[in-house]
Amino acid sequence: MLTRRGFLQTTALAAAAAQTQPKRIAIIATIYRLQSHAQHMGDRFLVGYPYSGAWHKPDMKVVSLYVDQKPEGDLSGDRAREFGFQVYPTVAEALRCGGKQLAVDAVLVIGEHGNYPRNEKGQILYPRSEFFEQCVKVFEQDGRAVPVYNDKHLSYSFEKANMMVAASRRLHFPMLAGSSIPVTWRLPSIDLPLGCRIDDALMIGEGGSDAMDFHALEGLQCMVERRRGGESGVKAVQLLEGDAVWKAGEEGRYSKELLTAALSRSDTPLGLTVEDGRTQNLVASGELRKLAKKPAAYFIEYRDGLKATMLMLDGALKDFNFAARLQGVPRIQSTQFLLTPDPNVTYSACLMHKAEQMFETGVAPYPVERTLLVSGILESCLTSKLQQHARLATPQLAVTYKPPQKSQFAQS
Amino acid sequence: MSDPVRPKLAAIVTTCFKMSHAQHIVDRLLDGYGWNGTHHYPPMDLVSLYVNQVGANDLSKERAARHPAMKMCPTIAEALTLGTSKLAVDGVVIVGEHGNYPRNEKGQTKYPRWEFFEQMVKVFRDSGRSVPVFNDKHLSWNWEWARKMYDTSREMGFAFMAGSSLPVTWRTPSVEMPLGSRITEALCVCYGGVDSYDFHGLETIQCMVERRRGGETGVQWMQAYRGDKFWEALREGVWPRPLMDAALCRSHTLTPARAGFNHIFPSVEDMRRLVPDPVAYRYQHADGLKCTMLLMSGLVKDFNFAAYVDGGREPWSTQMYLPMPDGRTTLANFFSPLVNNFEKMYLTGKPAYPVERTLLTTGLTAAGVESLYRGQTRFDTPHLAIRYQPTKESTFWRT
Repeated sequence: MLTRRGFLQTTALAAAAAQTQPKRIAIIATIYRLQSHAQHMGDRFLVGYPYSGAWHKPDMKVVSLYVDQKPEGDLSGDRAREFGFQVYPTVAEALRCGGKQLAVDAVLVIGEHGNYPRNEKGQILYPRSEFFEQCVKVFEQDGRAVPVYNDKHLSYSFEKANMMVAASRRLHFPMLAGSSIPVTWRLPSIDLPLGCRIDDALMIGEGGSDAMDFHALEGLQCMVERRRGGESGVKAVQLLEGDAVWKAGEEGRYSKELLTAALSRSDTPLGLTVEDGRTQNLVASGELRKLAKKPAAYFIEYRDGLKATMLMLDGALKDFNFAARLQGVPRIQSTQFLLTPDPNVTYSACLMHKAEQMFETGVAPYPVERTLLVSGILESCLTSKLQQHARLATPQLAVTYKPPQKSQFAQS
Repeated sequence: MSDPVRPKLAAIVTTCFKMSHAQHIVDRLLDGYGWNGTHHYPPMDLVSLYVNQVGANDLSKERAARHPAMKMCPTIAEALTLGTSKLAVDGVVIVGEHGNYPRNEKGQTKYPRWEFFEQMVKVFRDSGRSVPVFNDKHLSWNWEWARKMYDTSREMGFAFMAGSSLPVTWRTPSVEMPLGSRITEALCVCYGGVDSYDFHGLETIQCMVERRRGGETGVQWMQAYRGDKFWEALREGVWPRPLMDAALCRSHTLTPARAGFNHIFPSVEDMRRLVPDPVAYRYQHADGLKCTMLLMSGLVKDFNFAAYVDGGREPWSTQMYLPMPDGRTTLANFFSPLVNNFEKMYLTGKPAYPVERTLLTTGLTAAGVESLYRGQTRFDTPHLAIRYQPTKESTFWRT
């Protein structure tokens, strides 16, 4: 068993040795197929990506790949042949490149897409924590740990997510996770001022639960975490569906003014706009209720008293928009998180730039606690749904952290 | 006299169907649009609409039925006089885009913008009064007529705005060319056809380069390259390849050069395969600045700008982002900043930005067409000695 001191020394020595060589990357993925997350994110380390007006090629080499499933259209073998790396049958072998010791400087875990079962909450059981645990096991056995990026939420289970973050703290390796939404372009290009006082915040999106709701929740979280005092954690959540969502609006549980503001940022209103191109004030006209036939509201009560709402409005729009009212600021702050078009999905280049930055510097550009908290908010909201939409106290979500000082979204 | 606080507008359009320019503009005036974090209703009334071609897919009747305060008028004069003998509106919006109009031997669509303008001016003259005018896109396909439109606005002293959405839409990144910059080369990579999107590419460049030291000085010559001559010019380095590459790195719509990849930088061979009909307009301003507009349909579907600024070796670049309603979005919201800018003119009587920009890009579009028509030879443009100063304030969409 390694002592902590020995562990740190080994890590430091290995880091010093690795400084002259391009960093060696292992990719641990569910599947590697065209337009899967692993492909469009992993490829950024193989063929480069646009950054700040130039085609940027990371000074890093993908040396190994593990894919959990090889569906039709699998590209793992083709990529390995073309870019000169191996596909290994296990996570451990990928991290050791077939040898006996950890042989990479960073790990990209991309557990999105592929054929996995769903649980009773409707969550897809992607094996992210399982992949991660296998990485941690190698780190522990080999006495060295390297930075890990985990795509999207950490796990469908907050308990597992918490264990993942705990492992990164225990073994002192930097960790980054989450969605592209916090780091993509914004229209307009704004952030909430650090230390602002938020009266009310609202996010709107679409795409159903345990796929796109995570993205929307992280969009909301990356904004509200900038409030005075930083993130305090969440004390309760509630998920409402159907007419109860509109009723909650009538009762003032979320602001119609913020809803109008968020919708004013949308480029994708549906219904009459699709029919004949017209612009619409969906709230004032009442069309919103007609279009969003199965709305869902995710109510989040933070421990410092802030209340925020995320509305999934499938059928009414197809993009992700945020609005907030700040104390002492007359105009509502609102913006669209721009999800750039297929197939380039340049937002994933924005995200991989952050992973690359962490691999390069050993410092995560923003805290993994954001994604930990959002993983927990999502799971608890889905539990609320399962428990007849009850308000659930969430003492486990006392996740506190400070937001990054510098805005992290695409601006250059 | 009408309420000065709430101007009355007449819209003069070629046709109004779903996704036509007239639909985008008229609907924003009638139904409002998202602006500054609310649904903005323009503080003015569209009181009359003239439609030159009412087709089977017409939407103007539906709009008029839903907005009875807007009268459909069979003639331009009636739309402007509202059935009286004199000009009875406070502003005119001309949208001469889309509709079935003949093309000439040079490939220019003969949209009747000049004809609309002339009929409008007759009402102005007969009424002894003129009001601010916005003209969508370029002024006219015919340079002489475009120049007359401009000269008439000056002679009669009415505020005149025109042009594309490209100068005023979002940018990714959201940056402005610093006023007074020294620019030696500027370039736009975009897509679309001749006498169509080339105008948008030229406005993309012009709204940036007009901010250079000394302001706009006019253009001396134009040289177009198409097909094989385009590839030859690229090989010979007629325009700076680093600027072209930088512009391509701003694109969100780069066609994957290889099967199995979603985003990969293309080689010249890839470009040749992907772009069957490339067009370049290369032109020189009177102060020596050289600009290049590249239409590369098949490679990109957006408008990307790059330039050498203030002696920097690294290109300065951005994308003029259009949320194009091609399936991913449903609203052509780049019309919102266009409408918002011209709203200001109707409220203040002053153009939000100089129409000379569009006079010049109108001339450049026609010059590009002319150079192509003359066998891709250099076309001298002494008539484009157009000087003007840009607005100090940025007018693109940032809020």
